[in-house]
Amino acid sequence: MAQIAAERYTGASIKRSEDPRILTGRGRYVDDLKLPGMLHAAFVRSPLAHGRVLSVDASAARELPGVVLVLTGADLETMTIRGQDPLFAMMGAGGPMPDYSLLATDTVRFVGDPVAIVVAESRYLAEDGCDLIEVDYEDLPPVVSAATALDPGSPPLFANLGDNIIGPHKRDEFGDVAGTFAAADVVADFHIDVHRHQNVPMEGRGCVASFDPDSGFMTVYAATQSVHVTKMAVASRLGIEPDKVRVLAGDIGGSFGLKIGASREELAAAAASRALGRPVKWTEDRSENLAASGQAREESFDVRAAVSKDGDLLGLDVQMVLDNGAYPVMGTMVPSIMEMMLPGPYKLAALGFESTAVATNKASYIAYRGPWASETFVRERVIDLLAAELGLDPLEIRLRNIAPRTDPPHMMVTGRPLVGVTSAESLERVAELVDVPAFRRRQASERAKGRYLGIGMATFIEGAPGPRSPEGSSGLMGMEHMRLTLASDGVVTLFTGQMPHGQSHQTTLAQIAADEFGVPFGQVRVVVGDTDVVPFGLTGGSRSATMTGGVALHGARQLRGKVLDFASALFEASAQDLEIADGDVFVRGDPDSAMPVAEVARQAASGEFSVDADTAFEVEAAYDGGEGGWSGGSHCAIVEVDAETGIVTVERYVAAEDCGALINPAVVEGQIRGGIAQGIGAVLLERSAYDADGNYQSATFMDYLLPTACDVPRIEISHLETVPLDADVNFRGVGEGGMIVAPPTVVNAIEDALAPFGVRIYEQHLPPARILELIAEADAG
Amino acid sequence: MADITVSVNGAARTGSVEPRKTLADFLRDDLDLTGTHVGCEHGVCGACTVIVDGRPVRSCLMLAVQAAGSEVTTIEGLAPDGALGTLQQAMWDSHSFQCGFCTPGFVMQATAYLGEHPDAGEQEIREALSGNICRCTGYQSIIDGVLLAAQRSREA
Amino acid sequence: MKLPYVEYEAPTSVAEAVGLLAEHEDEASVLAGGQSLIPLMALRLARPAVLIDINGLSELSLVKVTDGRVTIGAMTREYVAEDSATVGDTVPLLAAALPLIGHEAIRSRGTIGGSLAHADPAAELPAVAVALDAEFVVRSLSGDRVVPASEWFQGYLATSRRPDEMLVEVRFPAARPGTGVAFEEVARRHGDFAIVGLAVSLTLTEGVITDARLAFAGIGDVPVRAADAEGLLVGERPSAELFDEAARQAVAGIDPPADLNGSSEYRKKIAATLVRRGLQRAADNAHGRQ
Repeated sequence: MAQIAAERYTGASIKRSEDPRILTGRGRYVDDLKLPGMLHAAFVRSPLAHGRVLSVDASAARELPGVVLVLTGADLETMTIRGQDPLFAMMGAGGPMPDYSLLATDTVRFVGDPVAIVVAESRYLAEDGCDLIEVDYEDLPPVVSAATALDPGSPPLFANLGDNIIGPHKRDEFGDVAGTFAAADVVADFHIDVHRHQNVPMEGRGCVASFDPDSGFMTVYAATQSVHVTKMAVASRLGIEPDKVRVLAGDIGGSFGLKIGASREELAAAAASRALGRPVKWTEDRSENLAASGQAREESFDVRAAVSKDGDLLGLDVQMVLDNGAYPVMGTMVPSIMEMMLPGPYKLAALGFESTAVATNKASYIAYRGPWASETFVRERVIDLLAAELGLDPLEIRLRNIAPRTDPPHMMVTGRPLVGVTSAESLERVAELVDVPAFRRRQASERAKGRYLGIGMATFIEGAPGPRSPEGSSGLMGMEHMRLTLASDGVVTLFTGQMPHGQSHQTTLAQIAADEFGVPFGQVRVVVGDTDVVPFGLTGGSRSATMTGGVALHGARQLRGKVLDFASALFEASAQDLEIADGDVFVRGDPDSAMPVAEVARQAASGEFSVDADTAFEVEAAYDGGEGGWSGGSHCAIVEVDAETGIVTVERYVAAEDCGALINPAVVEGQIRGGIAQGIGAVLLERSAYDADGNYQSATFMDYLLPTACDVPRIEISHLETVPLDADVNFRGVGEGGMIVAPPTVVNAIEDALAPFGVRIYEQHLPPARILELIAEADAG
Repeated sequence: MADITVSVNGAARTGSVEPRKTLADFLRDDLDLTGTHVGCEHGVCGACTVIVDGRPVRSCLMLAVQAAGSEVTTIEGLAPDGALGTLQQAMWDSHSFQCGFCTPGFVMQATAYLGEHPDAGEQEIREALSGNICRCTGYQSIIDGVLLAAQRSREA
Repeated sequence: MKLPYVEYEAPTSVAEAVGLLAEHEDEASVLAGGQSLIPLMALRLARPAVLIDINGLSELSLVKVTDGRVTIGAMTREYVAEDSATVGDTVPLLAAALPLIGHEAIRSRGTIGGSLAHADPAAELPAVAVALDAEFVVRSLSGDRVVPASEWFQGYLATSRRPDEMLVEVRFPAARPGTGVAFEEVARRHGDFAIVGLAVSLTLTEGVITDARLAFAGIGDVPVRAADAEGLLVGERPSAELFDEAARQAVAGIDPPADLNGSSEYRKKIAATLVRRGLQRAADNAHGRQ
């Protein structure tokens, strides 16, 4: 029978082991790296949204002292193997496959499209070299809106495709859509737009690629969410045997989905390194990051809702168009996830869903924290809109429609079981914490004074990793692997393919392993970021709490078993009578028998004991997610809208979250608050703006506005008691939830604040000018 | 190229730089003090904040040659012997940070601010730190770290 | 975003600086605080051939009061002016505007002269200078020239400084007793440039407005004085109705630009709101000072 580990660390806000180096400036980010002989790269980028490249003249650049190499798109075609973006290639979406070169050769397809790489002694000189390169372009008419892209007559971005429809256009139906709509009391139509915005981690993309001509080895120091995916990308696109590619990563300054695989620029830098036999560093600057690294969320939805007059949400029929930008990365995969998630925790009986993705002359639609988040925005917005139409309370509609927690669980109409979902509880919890009736009284008295306060709520679930599926493992990306060792110094080491970029894995995983194995927290080391030593893994999809927490727990348990099997010979006791706690192995009930784990390990390694037990204290563990489970929660925001200036202040924000068992509450809360801040930013501040000619208008932090300490209020978080589904692993992911549900929460509150004006909101971005427009339009209409 | 001498973290440091080189790049590239981070190079994000002659300054908006003869303190200078200062310890205790990229700028800005306003309350601290951008935390944990540091300094 | 190649001079006297400007004229940029110029150079939007760094000119850093006028040297750092009791007492409108400029780290380096020479119409100090009829003293090899604020701001980032001239000091009138001020702005975030900003100064004598100054930031290529609204206010007693009328008058003739932050209509609307709010705040402050 498995011993139940005394939980000392798990569940506690253990201080992070990452922080001493972070707080003293000793973090090691990719731009901090200096290698002997290292050179620096910069890119010439298209100033046009759409154009033919007629000629590239790099002669002056090549002559600039300090410039060592210039490679054009054409040069790189001879040095690399054509392919797709690694995330696109990994996940596969079906649909037309556009054919394009690593850097632009004959066609540029968005402002910022890289055309040539300049490698020089310093970044300053590389940029000087870029200034000297003359590119002759011929303007082509830009395709800047989905509407234009849908027109079969629009100039195709890719010569091998006939048009700009780039994702598989398909319609699915779940349940009896026609019948549900025919029988409904009320059928309402809405058109909802979500605007383009983007990840913007504080550290941009970058790498140092270092090719050793003697051995033929390529080492890439990367900022990535997976060293192994980066390795695969580099190996396949540069045509190097994977065994000769090593990817290393140190500290990473955030990502939120941006840094997966290897970007075109990183591959170009690697090719340049190989050509030169010297390390080449490329770290993008903020203009590149904002204009060229990719953006997300630009989607539009036509939603038809079938409801009863009492507020039963019977069916939804949704047609979406996704603006994929030019080069496909993640956009075409998002609609199918949205389709699956749209019913949320509700009893929705019928869903029709149709999606189209189009190519436009903009930066690529990439993964951004909760890539499918717009399904929650659309659903939670529609519920409030229906509530207004029917004259019902939106909270009541939600509670009325939440699927009850039954056994067997209620099935989402799209096929997944709503097992362990606590949406009703989280809605009731936020309502209680906020004291809605008291707020309504305050709202009324403030309205009388000309002040507009509003309250909004929204609820969501997230497959983090999702419930066990009939096919086998939970979660989008399959089994999670980990190697665990016990060394003769008594240190337990976890080798994981997770690549933390703010998630604190080096702390949380150590907490779990320390508890399960029985050593102090400081006696566990977590190794990440080296393809030579860690198993395959990827940090993303909010999977690590369950998948990696689970493999750490089970792996530590297996390792403990091995150690006790050997120790039983040492102690001349049965392994079942032995314990490991506080770093000592001892016979239960006999504390004087204690021997430090290090001593046991030393003896095993010494070979002094010949035993019929495994003395190599190493475990290769794999975990399929166990029962998995949903994460989710309900959020509530109270806002004030200044109806004269359009400025919105978030006065109060309350979140009730259920992410199962907490590994480290402070880490969980940090993730939630960070996601909510991005959601507030999306609604009030952030927009990746293109003009009618496809010129990018948000390429500095003066134009792309991020929320600051004055924009994000104190966020109150209430954790719900989880519904445990698994005997051991009930940690669920929490990384993306805040960003998924915060936008509808805030927009619902703004609409409530503007109710006296009769405002209805069908969009996500509400800067001050737009608020005043909505008020004026409602007045006029 | 200009030969310059700058006092950095109490030590005279010399370098030979083009006048166009920013103080941020000088610290990072020439002096190997990579704790100061570059987040935007146009003076908005605050990741590059250092203290020059007692004042918080965006090192991406100063030329290295302009720092000649000044006293510059970077994050590496706050805990030279390894022991964390009050602010750093309070931030550790408060789980202030996640990815850590913005951290040096916040630590230097908060150090400068608390030095002048040791009794600052939450709203003042939020305003004082509103010129530093963090993408991970939503700021609350950072504010808590600064408030805790201020409280501990008062109690000391 | 690295700065392009540039030659660099660090004169040690104003005379030397002015000599360098005479030599290089339009090919040179004067580097004061650098908080506006260095970003432009990092973005490679500004590419002067020569930088004339005037940070060594300590004689340009001063605040002095003579005969009802406050002289502020061009290299006076914004944070120094912000902390200055003299500025607070004698130019309260400047004191009200300074904390709104960017963030503390910007004000550590940014200078009064630099901001006014850069002449961003969305910035706070140009509106203050126009509201108070400040005087700009520029120096060249031929001597000093005094330019009134009404003639200083010529267009977007353009002033009447000649290429061989350097701004050495700005003079503000000292506020008279009974003066209340306000700097109102609508900005996307704390510390951002104003979408629309308004510098307001009201002087009350026995409850009657005897002087009224209103100057907008962010509604044109240059700060805009609301002279007609000012005329409407003088001789009247403060009241909500008066302020409403002044707001209508102030925005009647303006044609603000449109950009990512808002349409022309939006700017007009909030401009009117700022006039109402600013006048009320200034009137309240004036009562405090009588």
